[in-house]
Amino acid sequence: MKRPAADGRGKGDLLFFAAVLLLAGYGVVCVYAASSYNAQVQYGDSFYFMKKQLIGFVLGAAAMLLLSRVPLSALRRLGVPALLLSAVLLVLVFVPGLGKSNYGATRWIGLGGVTIQPSELAKYGLILFIAGYFAARPARMRSLLGVLPVLLAGGVLCVLILLEPNLSVTMCLGAVMLGMIFLSGLSWRAALVILLPVVALVPALILAAPYRLKRLSAFLDPWASPREEGYQLIQSLYALANGDLFGVGLFNSRQKYRFLPFSESDFILSVIAEETGFVGVLLLFALIGFILWRGFRIAARCKTFYGYMLACGIMLAYGVQTALNALVVSGCIPPTGLPLPLVSAGNTSLIVTMAGMGVVYGISRGQGNGKGAPRHKIQRHGLSVRD
Amino acid sequence: MIMAIAFLFCLFLGRFLYVQVIWRETLVYRALDQWTREVPVIAQRGRIFDRNGELLAGNVAAYSVFARANAVQDAEDGARLLSALLPLSYEEALAKLTDHSRSEITLIKQAEKCVAERIAGSGIAGIYYARDNLRFYPYGALACQVLGFTAEGQAGVTGLERYYDSYLAGEAGEIVYETDLVGVQLEGTGASYLPATDGLDVTLTIDSRIQALAERVMADAMQQYNAAGVTCVVLDPQDFSVYAMVDLPSYDLNEVPRDDLDVLNSLSRNTVVSDAYEPGSTFKIVTAAANIEEYLRGNERAFSPTHIFSSARTRTVDGGSIRCWSDHANGKHSNQTLSMALNNSCNPCFVDIALSLGTQTFYDYLEAFGFGKVTGIDFSGEAAGMLLSELAVREGDLARIGFGQAIAVTPLQLACAAASAVNGGYYYTPRLLDHISFSDGAPAVQGENALVRRTVSEEASQLLSSMLEGVVANGSGKNAYIEGYRVAGKTGTAQKYENGVIAQGKYVSSFLGYFPAHDPKYLALVTVDEPQGAYYGSVVAAPCAREIFEGIIELMDIPPYV
Repeated sequence: MKRPAADGRGKGDLLFFAAVLLLAGYGVVCVYAASSYNAQVQYGDSFYFMKKQLIGFVLGAAAMLLLSRVPLSALRRLGVPALLLSAVLLVLVFVPGLGKSNYGATRWIGLGGVTIQPSELAKYGLILFIAGYFAARPARMRSLLGVLPVLLAGGVLCVLILLEPNLSVTMCLGAVMLGMIFLSGLSWRAALVILLPVVALVPALILAAPYRLKRLSAFLDPWASPREEGYQLIQSLYALANGDLFGVGLFNSRQKYRFLPFSESDFILSVIAEETGFVGVLLLFALIGFILWRGFRIAARCKTFYGYMLACGIMLAYGVQTALNALVVSGCIPPTGLPLPLVSAGNTSLIVTMAGMGVVYGISRGQGNGKGAPRHKIQRHGLSVRD
Repeated sequence: MIMAIAFLFCLFLGRFLYVQVIWRETLVYRALDQWTREVPVIAQRGRIFDRNGELLAGNVAAYSVFARANAVQDAEDGARLLSALLPLSYEEALAKLTDHSRSEITLIKQAEKCVAERIAGSGIAGIYYARDNLRFYPYGALACQVLGFTAEGQAGVTGLERYYDSYLAGEAGEIVYETDLVGVQLEGTGASYLPATDGLDVTLTIDSRIQALAERVMADAMQQYNAAGVTCVVLDPQDFSVYAMVDLPSYDLNEVPRDDLDVLNSLSRNTVVSDAYEPGSTFKIVTAAANIEEYLRGNERAFSPTHIFSSARTRTVDGGSIRCWSDHANGKHSNQTLSMALNNSCNPCFVDIALSLGTQTFYDYLEAFGFGKVTGIDFSGEAAGMLLSELAVREGDLARIGFGQAIAVTPLQLACAAASAVNGGYYYTPRLLDHISFSDGAPAVQGENALVRRTVSEEASQLLSSMLEGVVANGSGKNAYIEGYRVAGKTGTAQKYENGVIAQGKYVSSFLGYFPAHDPKYLALVTVDEPQGAYYGSVVAAPCAREIFEGIIELMDIPPYV
């Protein structure tokens, strides 16, 4: 017999919860493996990045627990304010003195000693808004006009992030937005009307900024410019190759000795691939796949349409970003600065992603042991609406 | 939507598999290059000895000190220490220690060991030193064109240092370090050491005592006659191994004048091997040899040793006239046999021989004696001389070749031709190499005594040699005479041409001599370029040969032959 928890809900999907914690914990270890040398050289403390990540992990776990106890109704009210807050924060990035630049892009806000990346928050702001917007009147998604406010809100956030500039997060946000619209049950025809211009926009955006074109050609033949645009990709490929099937062993990466840039953040997967080999990569993605599977399962079993949309959005954001990162690291698409969520160093991303996972876990807690729960069909385009 | 995510997962996982397993080898091979840095371990260059084991070229251990700016921790402190230890100012040292444009910067080359050790002992991070070679020539300028010099004690640039470089150089090893991106060695990694293979030692046929003797004699002659240059080659007529090769002016191999390339090129050129000149009368040895051999073979066009040549001073050939250097007045050069013609160095007699033998026969001998082609000595940059082609040669040219004009030869070519004419008719490839050995003395390569061809018969050779002995005993070679040692030889005085016309007052005086006449052991060809005052070979060059032979007799303690 399962006893209900103190707040009147069940234990929920403990496996999902445990898998997320396991992955984030593994991330802390990997951050140490990838950054120890750099940290020693730059800060004189080989644990520098690992300690920061550990703090993020603890805070993230706390956020996860906390958010799992926040009732969905409370989150539902946050939709519009979260969207507005996201927009405001994204605008603040451009305020001189507040915005912090790095590597030629202004993507951070510095508050005292803390740096936050508003685009990470904006992703969840948009998810909250979309879920709330559709759940309020499910009929909206039947017409293009009803979907328009979602497109508008997403478009504004996308443009703001694009101005930083940060194409990869923009693409991520756009993909989440479109994914949620489809999962809400939009008709095929309407979906195409939205999708085509967006797809057409991608090449235009790449052509708009010369550095993106350079990256694109470097991606096609990295050895044409091994010291400039091709460098990152080459170094990532070296790391992967050095890993072979079973890897060189944890903490034994050769590429972490400053050859691989951003080895603890955007390219942490390269180090993991080098140290644990292809088998290690398979196991890692088995765990990630498990989290995704349980996450979407939670969404599908959710009793409310709002919960379904919210969980879908969060899992979608997680899955899309994970896939994009892996595609970059393995050289399937041109390099863009995108962390591997839950694993890469970077506290904003870690805490926010874990908080999001907390929300999903919270949704699972409201489902009891799952018997008799409603099953949403997650397929090509949405589900039949019950709310 | 789930399908889309699953598809993406399969896509990149397939890609991971491809990169990590299939593409792996190529990529890791490329990556290895960036993971290590190499410091060369310089091989000890082989030494050069003379035929008696006397060291002619050796090494002094020297050290290069270099810095890796990326590994330097305290540049200012390091610069202070370096400026105290090396001939560098503080500013220069600091600039080098902070130059990040290259991974490695040389601070000093060929420093002494104690300096390098003091730097290493001072413990400045990022500064390394490695041994390199400083070439040392104990005899300074001795045989400088023959030995040649190296670039920074490593690669032979001229002379035998260059010719035998592949043996002398050895093979550099290296110390391989595991480093990070900027070249800092990784903690806990050792260095793998590939030892260098030292070069092989080269022993020459040169005898440094004879070389020194000949250089001294020739230097005196050069000074006495204020000559533009002098050369001398001394070789063993029995196998054409070279005892000495002199070419003055010379330079000190330990202080190669590298500043002026033109000067260096002219000083380091071994003219004995590389430059041809018009030999004049010394060439009559070859003409005489051809005649005697043909006579013994029964060729009716050849002159018998008892034949009396016309006493006239001039010969008319091709409508032009060729005159003897002597005026033939008062019974001079009259009723001469071949022997007397050699004694007097009478040009018309040798015109008669060349024309009588004819182009075809005479050219057979020029060919056999090795004219118009290189001797094949173990030395780079040998000249082939100039010989008109058999098809193009006219009567007048043939007549002149008979007494050593209208042909250009290197001193080495002429010495070899004469040696084969008097040693029984054996022509060998001349050589400077006696043998090559490992540093422990074990043999590696033996210099070969290679017979190329026969030139004349033993009998012809003996007859010629007795005539040439007469030249020294009674004729123009008197100044080379040494009582009891049976010196033989032939003088030569050639007028120099400049831009195709005879340069007035410019001569090459020469003497080709050897001893003993019945079994030649030492043969020398002496040339004095543009002597001032006297210019006859008999006066200028023959005494040099005598002095050299006297010196050899003393050195080798040779008793008289009669």
